[in-house]
Amino acid sequence: MLEIKNLVSGYGEATVLKELNCTIAPGGVSAIMGRNGMGKTTLLKTIMGLVRAQSGEIFFNAVPIHSLPTHQIAHKKLGYVPQGREVFDKLTVLENLRLSALGSSKENLQLLPQIYEWFPVLQERSSQKAGTLSGGQQQMLAIARTLIGRPEIILLDEPSEGIQPSIVHEIATRLKKIALSTGLTILLVEQNVDMVMTMADHIHFMENGEIRETVGKEELRNSDEKLRTYLSV
Amino acid sequence: MKNNLFIIFTFALLAVMPLILSDYWTGQLNYYLIYGLFALSLSLVWGYGGILCFGQAIFFGIGAYVMAVSTKGMLSPVPANFYLGLSLACMAAAAFAALLGSFLFAGKGINGPYLAIITLAIAMVLERLMSNWYALGGYNGLLDIPPINLGLFSYDLEIWDSRPAFYILWSIVFCITLLLGWLVKSDFGSLLIALRTNPERLTYFGFSPLQIKLKVFCLSAAIAGLAGALFVTLDGFASPTLIGFTLSTEVLIWVALGGKELLIAAFLGAIATRLAENWLSELFGDYWLLILGFLFMVSVVLFPKGLIATPIQAFLKRFNSNKNAA
Repeated sequence: MLEIKNLVSGYGEATVLKELNCTIAPGGVSAIMGRNGMGKTTLLKTIMGLVRAQSGEIFFNAVPIHSLPTHQIAHKKLGYVPQGREVFDKLTVLENLRLSALGSSKENLQLLPQIYEWFPVLQERSSQKAGTLSGGQQQMLAIARTLIGRPEIILLDEPSEGIQPSIVHEIATRLKKIALSTGLTILLVEQNVDMVMTMADHIHFMENGEIRETVGKEELRNSDEKLRTYLSV
Repeated sequence: MKNNLFIIFTFALLAVMPLILSDYWTGQLNYYLIYGLFALSLSLVWGYGGILCFGQAIFFGIGAYVMAVSTKGMLSPVPANFYLGLSLACMAAAAFAALLGSFLFAGKGINGPYLAIITLAIAMVLERLMSNWYALGGYNGLLDIPPINLGLFSYDLEIWDSRPAFYILWSIVFCITLLLGWLVKSDFGSLLIALRTNPERLTYFGFSPLQIKLKVFCLSAAIAGLAGALFVTLDGFASPTLIGFTLSTEVLIWVALGGKELLIAAFLGAIATRLAENWLSELFGDYWLLILGFLFMVSVVLFPKGLIATPIQAFLKRFNSNKNAA
């Protein structure tokens, strides 16, 4: 369980998250939606320790993580797929996967066949440099790279960005299946409504650095009033 | 493996050289091997680790002085022994690197030109310090350092001749080059590539960039320390110039000219530059430095990967595509 209490965070003098409170229950997929500049990416970066919390607390499985350095937060089994994918483009697909697995434990390498089963294209391209993959394939690699570290929760930052809709849908259905079959928790930051509706069980709407409202998927499906309130410009 | 083939080929060629060359040139080749080893240490930390250390001679000099005082018996009750001296030299250089690295890389860390300036400044400070440390010979340095001594326990087996010394140095440098060749192709090598290009990304997977930087910095320092230690056994003389500014910049030029991202190219860069210096400085005197400067500019502008690495990599690429076609 990921608990965020009165979190204040930002860059220098600019405060982005203002006393944010949020709880992500284990298992299932939660999505955070909101317009650009509302603090979604900052929230994920603060959870991962890439941006330091100015005040407030973050607990993962009841352990405080807000003052740990990023690599130690990763050891607590939080996986992070950053915006823009950020694969190691000079390394091959396999080297990317190996490196991420070794970051936590050598035993993670045993998960490689499973990863290839989930994302067969990565096996086909295993000896190719990651920088030469298409955007969608890089996104799959970025997700696979995080999964091979056996995280309990993964934080996904706009995985649909710059990827053609059919691939977005493919990634969304596959991730949903993985979450269902492994009990993995997913926290998805996304503006793509199709992806959110495919994957998420709960949707948190974010505005001006706060979580304003949390709704179930069914509620959202029946009326798009919330989407208009929180997403339309 | 292909990279190793080049290493094996180069060292096989080197191995037959003393059979052809005169005593004088074999003696020179001994120095070149050590400079080559020193260049390898910089290639590892700079070319692979992305840490531009402008004061690599710090570690060479520490190795040289530690070897000198230990084999001269100035560290009593520590016995004067060749093997012990080499180990102490490596350990002292690595320990200093660990200390220095902890300051330089902790927190956000110092990178790029700032790191270069600071390491250069430290090299100059240490050169000054050694010049004024009278117990260690001060400006005149330490003389009469014993040669390579393969003896064990109380038996001595001092190597004064250049040919046997060559084959001892050759074996040491060959082993280290092969080990480094294997290391940069291993998972640690991939980590170094990741560290060089995107250190922050490594943290997402539980790696601490500080630890990786310290590891590669210390390893490189230990190798530079070993080179310094072997150097004084050949030269019989340790002076403040071994720890300072000039040698630090020279090694940078060898490695940049040869190619910093390919171990064997950096190694050959050191040998080729020293060889060229030997010839050209006789022909042109100090104007030789102008030629070196010109070559350096040509290398930086036209062949940023290095004058030796560029053809080697082109050859390997061709070799690979032919193999794939077949």
